[in-house]
Amino acid sequence: MSFWGYKELGLLGMNRRNACYVLNRNRRALYPLVDDKLKTKDILDRHQIPTPELYFSITSNFEIRLLKEIKFLKEFVVKPARGAEGRGILVIVGREGKDWRKASGELISVEQLQYHVANILSGLFSLGGTDDHAFIEYCVHSHAVFRNIAYRGVPDIRVILYRGIPTMAMLRLPTKESDGRANLHQGAVGAGVVIQEGITLGGVHHNKLIDIHPDTKVPIRGFKIPFWADILEISAKIYESFGLGYMGVDFVIDHILGPLILELNARPGLNIQLANRKGLLPRLRAIDALGSDVEKFSWEKRLDVTRNLAS
Amino acid sequence: MNNRKVYLISLFLILLAGALVSAKIIHGGHSVEHSYSPHLWRISVIMNLSGQGTRAKVRLTLPRENPRQTIYNEHFENGEMVFYIRERAITGNRIGFWRSELLDGFKSIQYTFSAQLRSQSYVIPQELQLPKDPLKAYPADLVHPMTLLSSEFIQSDLLKPHLKKVIGREKKVYKVVQKIYDYIRGNVEYRSEKGSKDARATLDKLTADCGGQARLFVALSRAAGIPSRIVGGIITAGGVKNTTHVWAENFIGGQWIPFDVVNDYYATLPAHYLELYRGDYSLIKHTGLKKLEYFFIVGEEKMPPLDNPWSLYILPTHFQAMVKVLLQIPVGAFVVAFCRTIIGIQTFGTFTPILLSLALRQVSLEVGLLCLGSVIFVGWLLRKVLDHLKILVIPRLSIVLTMVVIMVLVMMILGFHFGYQQVLNISLFPMVIMTWMIERFSVLEIEDGTKNALKTLLGSTVVSIVTYYILGITVIRTYLFAFPELLFVIMAFLLILGRYTGIRIVELWRFKELKKNLGEAR
Repeated sequence: MSFWGYKELGLLGMNRRNACYVLNRNRRALYPLVDDKLKTKDILDRHQIPTPELYFSITSNFEIRLLKEIKFLKEFVVKPARGAEGRGILVIVGREGKDWRKASGELISVEQLQYHVANILSGLFSLGGTDDHAFIEYCVHSHAVFRNIAYRGVPDIRVILYRGIPTMAMLRLPTKESDGRANLHQGAVGAGVVIQEGITLGGVHHNKLIDIHPDTKVPIRGFKIPFWADILEISAKIYESFGLGYMGVDFVIDHILGPLILELNARPGLNIQLANRKGLLPRLRAIDALGSDVEKFSWEKRLDVTRNLAS
Repeated sequence: MNNRKVYLISLFLILLAGALVSAKIIHGGHSVEHSYSPHLWRISVIMNLSGQGTRAKVRLTLPRENPRQTIYNEHFENGEMVFYIRERAITGNRIGFWRSELLDGFKSIQYTFSAQLRSQSYVIPQELQLPKDPLKAYPADLVHPMTLLSSEFIQSDLLKPHLKKVIGREKKVYKVVQKIYDYIRGNVEYRSEKGSKDARATLDKLTADCGGQARLFVALSRAAGIPSRIVGGIITAGGVKNTTHVWAENFIGGQWIPFDVVNDYYATLPAHYLELYRGDYSLIKHTGLKKLEYFFIVGEEKMPPLDNPWSLYILPTHFQAMVKVLLQIPVGAFVVAFCRTIIGIQTFGTFTPILLSLALRQVSLEVGLLCLGSVIFVGWLLRKVLDHLKILVIPRLSIVLTMVVIMVLVMMILGFHFGYQQVLNISLFPMVIMTWMIERFSVLEIEDGTKNALKTLLGSTVVSIVTYYILGITVIRTYLFAFPELLFVIMAFLLILGRYTGIRIVELWRFKELKKNLGEAR
């Protein structure tokens, strides 16, 4: 092993990701399509790609009052349109008198909810602190297969799409520490996934390799993700709608609706390599070796490329 | 691919900087003639002040140009004291004043300049006679009456009776001067002493140091009706010294001609004499200080003269200090960029550490960090309260900002009360930046946990401290000031940094488990 050891692993570092992949493959003008979740949803809806249903959006302060008027919704999720790293997401799972119950079990008053939305609107959670919109959408209930393995929250599946080809994937499992959220740096567990089959490898928790979920104590390895073929198919098809050469697609699997796209990411993180215990570079290079018109392949052909990727 | 272009542009920038620097070296230095090149000196006057907590003032006469010397590349390190330069009409001295309303503890100020010195010999015209009425005989614009009159230590009136013994009935100026010179050389013995004697005492005791001998020479010359004045300066030789030297100048035939009785230079001065002031003054005067120590560091000048019309040296001196702060910003930016891209330290914002380190430079590291820590802590507490009260973001930020200002004021009062005057400088702290730090810290704490928030805070602090030390390197500051073209070099390095696609050092740590895993798999 070389002194640094990373060359052999083909690890993609932050600098190389930014300089060679994000800056090279993603046109700046296309960023708003993925940075603004409302825009993402709009495009997904137009292409009839499943995504959690949008109930309504709040774009200015006076609309915050609308929150008081919610009568028939029992559960919903409040999100900032331009939130980064899962910030500012509030999951409401029920009602107790006048208060709402959060996914964590705590109660939240209407005033607190309004304050949260006001914070979202003034850009507290947004990229770069600019003014933002909030929206309220369908609350996803996780597929039953995840019931044992995840600690509360909704596990999600991150697929890295390079030039339209699903390249690497991981399953992200919320933990007690991550408070129901599926972001790795907030303490969620990431489990690598064999991209061709949708079966999990070992996992990673806070940069530590693990094989057992720290809270549920269920083995993470060898878990079959349902609807895997659909997930790959949707991923491959989505490319034309957005045109970003290097992006992350986040899926959740609803117990009724099946795979839904939760959001897209123009600068997917690097922890997926830890979860998969593999560097991304060999796969990215293998795809680049296919020539300059990879993007023009049909989605079926692109999936073929995925199937032939060396694991 | 792209990298080639980047390297080419970087190379171009470096070459551009090189070309500009060499153009400056070749076409710069207008005041220094190359034919005189051997005697180039770099001289620092360092003054260590011990304040006693009161108003303090220090004055130093600064060298000025004359046919024997050229002064260039002047640098002032004023230690945050008020600094200004005044010209004195009577003596023609240029005087630098440093003032502080409250000076407590130790402070060091430094004046550095380059000088090109030349030797010069003068011819004394032989036909001149002593004037009958000296006060009317000389052009008023060249000779101030003071150079003919008796003064406290140069009692030319008292010496008039003695003059006869020295010059007899001689009326020719050149012979009179020669006789006075020979008289002192022949009769007065050199003895180093503390505090120079006046002219009268020198004549009585017949032993004196350079000051006493020069005063006697001046007094006798004035008594004879020749305008005469004391000149002070230093004799340059490499090394550290704190002795000055004094000689005399007589106005003969339309010009001032030097005479150094002690070292026997008659109407000539060698190239290692640097003139600092004229008149019977002392080089440095101070009020309101417990103690002042000064010394000169004399070395050969290595930096070429740069005072062409396009250099920063031509700016007024009080602006130069500001320019130096400006020049530190790109250096700081480079350090931050390095820490973030190569090492991978997380910081609050890109430019926060630069502004913080600039502020720390004004305040001193320990005091600055202490203030920063307490401001952020109190701001964070306040932020928690505001969060509880559900205050909207913009008013909330403004409230925190107001609190930061209040904190700074409180610390100024407290610091002053307990005798830490440095604390007063924290008014230079970037308050808006600190407010943002508090806000980002609080959000990060809620979202990612206290550990992550503290980590980023620590990262910002560490980068600020590193920047602080790098900005403290005098060589960097001096050379950037002399050659601001070097900023292109910084730009070139930043470009290369911008295409660095290697792993960050922090990532090595982050991926270390994977490495271990691979090792086990073998």
